[in-house]
Formats: sequence, C-alpha cells, structure tokens
Amino acid sequence: MLKVIAACGSGMGSSQIIKMKLEKVFKKLGIEASIYHTNIGDAKSQAANYDVVVCSDSLIGTFANATAKKVIVIGLKNLLSEKEIEEKVLEKIVNAQ
Amino acid sequence: MEFLMPVWEFFQNNILTKPQFFIGFIVFIGYLLLQRPIYEAVAGFIKAVVGYMILNVASGGLVGNFRPVLAGLKDRFDLSAAVIDPYFGQAAAQASIENAGRSFSMMMVVLLIAFSINILLVLFRRYTKIRTLFITGHVMVQQSSTALWLVIFCFPQLQDMGVVCMLGVLLGTYWSVGSNLTVEPCQQLTEGGGFATGHQQMFGIWIVSKIAGKIGNKEKSLENLKLPGFLSIFNENVVATGILMFIFFGVIITILGPELMHKIDPSFSANQSFLFFIIEKSFNFAVYLTILQLGVRMFVSELTESFQGISSKILPGSMPAVDCAATYGFGHPNAVTFGFLFGALGQFLAIIGLIVFQSPILIISGFVPLFFDNATFAVFANRLGGLRAAAIIPFVSGIIQVLGGGFAAYFFTTGNFGGWHGNFDWDTLWPVIGVIMNYGQYIGVVAVILILLAIPQIIYYRSKDTYFLIAEDYDQYLEVMEQKKRSAEELEVMAQKV
Repeated sequence: MLKVIAACGSGMGSSQIIKMKLEKVFKKLGIEASIYHTNIGDAKSQAANYDVVVCSDSLIGTFANATAKKVIVIGLKNLLSEKEIEEKVLEKIVNAQ
Repeated sequence: MEFLMPVWEFFQNNILTKPQFFIGFIVFIGYLLLQRPIYEAVAGFIKAVVGYMILNVASGGLVGNFRPVLAGLKDRFDLSAAVIDPYFGQAAAQASIENAGRSFSMMMVVLLIAFSINILLVLFRRYTKIRTLFITGHVMVQQSSTALWLVIFCFPQLQDMGVVCMLGVLLGTYWSVGSNLTVEPCQQLTEGGGFATGHQQMFGIWIVSKIAGKIGNKEKSLENLKLPGFLSIFNENVVATGILMFIFFGVIITILGPELMHKIDPSFSANQSFLFFIIEKSFNFAVYLTILQLGVRMFVSELTESFQGISSKILPGSMPAVDCAATYGFGHPNAVTFGFLFGALGQFLAIIGLIVFQSPILIISGFVPLFFDNATFAVFANRLGGLRAAAIIPFVSGIIQVLGGGFAAYFFTTGNFGGWHGNFDWDTLWPVIGVIMNYGQYIGVVAVILILLAIPQIIYYRSKDTYFLIAEDYDQYLEVMEQKKRSAEELEVMAQKV
C-alpha cells in the first residue's frame, strides 16, 4: 500500500484537486494507495512518513530534503491533467521499481 | 396536525439553528443520495460536524484575540480596524450575523442554492453562455458567509427564506459569470489546460488579461531575475502569517503602550515582558488561522469531492473552475514571489496613506489576499506583459485592496469585529454591489443580476464562432484563429493589389 500526500499552499484547493485526480489515475493503473492532502508546511515536516509527495512544479523546491531521504517527489505543471499525472506516475513510481 | 408542532420545534431548536448539525445532516443526506454505503455517510456526518465545531472555536478565538486591541484603538484614537483576509472576514461576518440575532446556518443553504443556480446556468448554456462550474469549496464557504452578512445588513427586515433565496441567486450568478470570464485568460495561459479559475479575484484576472499587454513587454520576462532565497519562507502559511501579524500588531500594541494593554487585556499577566506579550499575541492569530483551516478542510473536502463528481458526471463540455493556485505551475516561480512582494509594497503604502489622511478605519494586511490574489495577477501579467506588468499590476492591486477593503469594513461595519474578506473582487465588485443593494434595495439586486448576466452575452456576440470552441477543444480553436489570421492577411494583399 502506497502512502501518498498531496500538498499546496493552503492545503485546501489545489491539493484536494491533485488528490482526486491521483485517485482516478491510481485506480486506472491498479495501484493501491491511501492519499491525503495538506498544506506545504505540514507536508514538509511529515514528508519522511510518506512514500510519495505530489505538488505543483512551483513548490517542488520545498521538498529537497525529502528527495534526499528517498521519498519520491512529483511536481505537476497542470494539476488537473490526468494524462500528465499518469505519465509521471508511470515514470517515477511504476517503472522506477 | 397538532402533534407535528413539537416535532418541528425540536427540529428547529436542535438542527436548523445549529449550523454544525445542519451541515452534518446535509452531508449525510448527500452521501445517501450518491448511494454511498451508510458507514461512509456516518463518517462524513461526523467529519462535517466536528469540522464545523473546530471552525467555530477558531472563529471565536480570532475575534476574541483581536477584541482588546480593537477596544484599545477605539479608546485611544477612536479608530476601528480590520484584517483584510477571507478567514478574518468570515469570522467577522459570522460575529456580525449572530450579533444581529440571525442564524449562521443560512450560510450553508445559500451555498447550496448558489451552486444549483450555477448548475442550471451551465445546463442552459446555449442561452446563458455560461461555460464554467465553480467547485472551490472553501472559497464558496467564505463568500457565502460574507455575502450573507451584506444581505442581512442591507435588508434587516427580510425573513430567512427571502434572504437565502435572493442571495443564492445573486451569488450563484456571480460564481457563474466571474469564473466564465476567466476561460479565455486561463486557456491561453495554460495552452488548453482545461480549467478556469473559481476563486476570489476572477474579475481581477479578466482585467489583468486586458491591460497587461499594454503595460509591459512580454519579451522582458522575469525568468532571468535572481530573487533572494530567504523569500521562500513566505511559502509557508504559518510563517508568513506570524511575520505579518508580528509586524502589524507589534507596531499597534507598542503605540497603545503596556499600561493600557494591562488594563484592557487580562491575558497580559503582570510579570510578562511586553515584547513576549506582543509575540504571543501576534502568533495567536497564526494559531487560530491554522485551527480554522483545519476545520474548513475537514468539512469542505466532503463538499468539494461531491461537487467535482457532479461537474464531471452531469456537465460534460463544461469546465471546472478551481483554486487560483492551479495556475501557478504555468508561471515561473519568480512570478509568484514577485506578485506577493509588489502587492505587499502597494498595501503598505496604502496603509500609510490611510493613517496620514486620518481614515476612521485602520487596515491590517492579511496573508491570503496579499499572496494569492497578487501572485495570480503576476503569473498572468508576466505572460502577457513581462516583468514590468508583473510589478505594476500587483502593486496597484495592493493599493486597491487596502482602499476597497477599508471602505467595505467601515461601510458594512465588519470592522467592529476586526475583519473584512479582503480579496480583490471583494474589495472592488462586491462593495459596489453592497452599496447598490443598500440604496437600490430590491430593484438594485435585480439590476445587479441582470448586468452580471449580460456580460457573457456581450463576450459571446463578439466572438461567436470560437466562444464555446476555446473551452471544448483548444487545439481546434488555435487552428481556427490561425485560419482567420491567414484569410485576413490575404484580404489585405488583395486590397493592396486593387
């Protein structure tokens, strides 16, 4: 079971959109995951407890430490594009294993 | 029928006038209607009720923390004060509504009616020309709260039923028309990303998209700029709020002085240092804001999820209108920081202006309008008008936010509870709507709704052939535009030959 956290500035709008899109993509790819969403500060301090962090491209710098701890960090350009999310999930999660 | 009276009274006393249970039951029934299992409905009910109760604790905390400072300002300088931020605005609106002896439950009914109006306008889009459905839950809660107070302020005699119906139609029209205005700017920015903005500065985005190209040159973009690294700490809400509040309340409380604060604020104990009292007081705002957001997130995520479901299920061909931060991925990170900085500059300058010209209300910058509005404007402005537009537009927006917010907090008296909504549309469009409602009464409301509904019609008649295409199929839209350009050029060549 993959533990995933979606993050955005306030932890309310964009991160929830990412979460809902991720749920769809994971379901399509048959990946079992529990997905949470929160704000960027929260996600930063908790990142080590998750397998994957997903956020907007513009916030990816916040998770430099998490990347060092082998947490997979995915930055998105279009938060609503299932196509982009699927491509990045395939690249960073499925094919990386 | 006699036996029904106690049932109704029970319902009214325990559910209808208790927003937490009212919202809980709406979520519960919603889940059942969506045919989700009963245990999920129960979980949703609990999360909605607890979320709302958390929000209540935090709203009370925000207003309560502010109260002694407000009293001090009133006492010493005969000033009132407001933080311009949607969360402070929501807390102040709730306090104003309850102070007027009305039930805050109406907020939720307004939200549902307004959302239904938006659905209807999209369903009949062939006539209404509305292409977007507003699904940003937490923003809908904030706006329903503030707008509810505006209507109660302007129509104190109107019964609850009248209030929610009238406001539901008005707010639903604003959500539809405003988000519909952002279709062209968003599609161009994201190159067909397939979403519009449903947030608090939709008219602002539209204005920016019209003027940015005229203000600057898009070739001179801000991508090459190196911004100092310390600015990244403002990415974190708690840190940014802590710093902002420390600056503002530090100055205000220092001016009021330790003697007065001892007298009016019982939380300032005799042996605490003045400096640490100020730090604690300022950071308290960050505490309550964090709690407030936790509460909102808890009960709103249920809402947004079902809205998203509705939007993709019953409205194919329409666009979802989402949080403004969804556009940030399409702008350089510098644009976001740049907007915040120049917005802050504009706000601080305007606040100094308020003090110099002895305004009866003092405005305190809140993080959400400062950051989210101006960062969004900078992203759009940079794309269309480069560095120069991305600096000038947020700067001017900062000034407008303070002046418009100051007027609104004073006129609509939410300054008594220390807050105003403060986002761009709520410092410009909504104060105007409020004043029209106040003096024009029902005729004013009807006029506002008709004017709003006319906006998409006008845009449609100016671009008939591509109006729906840009939302449905962006690539084909580009092709059509290219073809148009080519045939226009051919015409010109032919004209020259003749």
